[in-house]
Amino acid sequence: MSALGLGIGIGRVDPLESVASGADDDKGRITGNSSGLRKGLLAAAPVIGLVGFLLVWQYGVQIFDIKRYILPRPSEILTTINGGKLFFWEMARTTMWEAFAGFAVAFVLAMIVATLMAHSRFIERAVLPLAVLVQVTPIIAYTPAIVVWQGFGFKSILVVTALVCFVPFLINGVTGMRSVDANLIELARSVDASRREVFFRLRLPSALPNLFSAARIAVGLALIGAVLGEFFAGSSSGLGYTISVAQNRLQSHLLMWGAIYVLAFIGATATLLITVAERFALHWHSSQRD
Amino acid sequence: MAEGQASATVERDQDQALVSVRNVTKTFRQRGGLVQALQRVDLDIKRGEFVSLLGPSGCGKSTLLRIIGGLHDASSGTVTINGLDAHRARAAKQYGLVPQAPALVPWKTLGQNVRFLTGLHRGASAHPVMSDAEIDSLLDTVGLTAFTKAYPHELSGGMQQRASLVRAFALGAPILLMDEPFAALDEITRADMRYLLLDLWSRINTTVVFVTHSVTEAVILSDRVIMMAARPGRIASDRVIALDRPRTVEMEDSPEFHETVRMLRADLRQFHAG
Repeated sequence: MSALGLGIGIGRVDPLESVASGADDDKGRITGNSSGLRKGLLAAAPVIGLVGFLLVWQYGVQIFDIKRYILPRPSEILTTINGGKLFFWEMARTTMWEAFAGFAVAFVLAMIVATLMAHSRFIERAVLPLAVLVQVTPIIAYTPAIVVWQGFGFKSILVVTALVCFVPFLINGVTGMRSVDANLIELARSVDASRREVFFRLRLPSALPNLFSAARIAVGLALIGAVLGEFFAGSSSGLGYTISVAQNRLQSHLLMWGAIYVLAFIGATATLLITVAERFALHWHSSQRD
Repeated sequence: MAEGQASATVERDQDQALVSVRNVTKTFRQRGGLVQALQRVDLDIKRGEFVSLLGPSGCGKSTLLRIIGGLHDASSGTVTINGLDAHRARAAKQYGLVPQAPALVPWKTLGQNVRFLTGLHRGASAHPVMSDAEIDSLLDTVGLTAFTKAYPHELSGGMQQRASLVRAFALGAPILLMDEPFAALDEITRADMRYLLLDLWSRINTTVVFVTHSVTEAVILSDRVIMMAARPGRIASDRVIALDRPRTVEMEDSPEFHETVRMLRADLRQFHAG
């Protein structure tokens, strides 16, 4: 939602300029302008917030005279990324692939288990406590154990990433599949529709809004999983790898911050893409959105 | 009844009951105790008849509707539809259901929604579902032609319920089961919907079992009104409504109409006082 607002907000006119021109107009235009201004401000709010935050950071560091090697300024971090475009792109590609693979594997497995759970109260009750256990145990606590089990490399990272994304997809999938209007299920039964038809034509589409919510949560979790995996699984590429290498070397804090900024950008972009896809897929659902 | 069956071989098609409910009892387990929802219900419904099940809430009229439709099982007794038990009749696509809520599929347009059940209907069907052109003509009858591309959340409650009616009629099923379809609508919309339903029904002469708690509604619509009483749910009276068809709004002011309503209200008082 806010991510999309960000996209809309970029094209807005400078609000200060509107105020200045509005003052010379007649009364009717002023009220019209001020409500337009309010709308514009609202749409631009995410950008104002982000730019404001970066400005406070930039000048705060200067005013309080914080040493550059302790906390660099945003301008320096952005310059570093710009200077090492190819390097950051390579690292980002590795991490994005890991995050995407884990996200996709989690989605497919969670849908299979969710389907079983939606069809059987017994399976649901048996699996739910396990899902909660996986969720409440800090992923960082069992990442080293997974690396011991699966060995160094991509496989461990995939397992960690998939594991951390699995539960949101599972819980939302089951909730969504169970959210079908009971009257619709009865209608389908009245014409003797098979369970298969009920599943594909009613349960699965009903679960879409929940699955989109899960996807938005899972994007962030997939990046956590990928970075964490790179920390522990002896990677030789990726943004998490970049951060852990930079941590062990003085003077490379700019590299570290560069990787963090790129991760934030990837997360925000992926969330934006999901929001756009959601708007497109759930246009029928708009009554329940605003 | 046994005598009737024996002598009616010649006119079997006209006279034999399409729906035959025999000695049906339904017991629910609720809060540790047993609740008798239906007690020894016997009912015959002829082909093409419009029958209302009338009664206060808790008299088991919706339960009886669902047992006839094979959606609930009776604790004892039998339901026969065209010689099939209710489950086989359901498998043979004998029913069209109109639930109390419109229950349209929210991600499908109105045009897709009215065809949703006919789409599920493929496979073993004892009768053909309606063609696209026939469904369009029904949509025209209920005044929804302009809205076929709209999504349910863009439609009023009355429009949604009209779509729900068309969806059921589109199945071309021999028996339509309607469970208080107008109960959630405002009074003015409800009054229109009754005549709209009669209009549809007169075009496609199916058998309708209509559950309602409105005496007026039952009289306007029905050939026969089955009054039910509660605790335990049972049939209290069975009256033929001798008003002419087609029924009109003007008819609601006639002495015959008022007399019929008065009679049913008297039944209602009698069975719910003692």
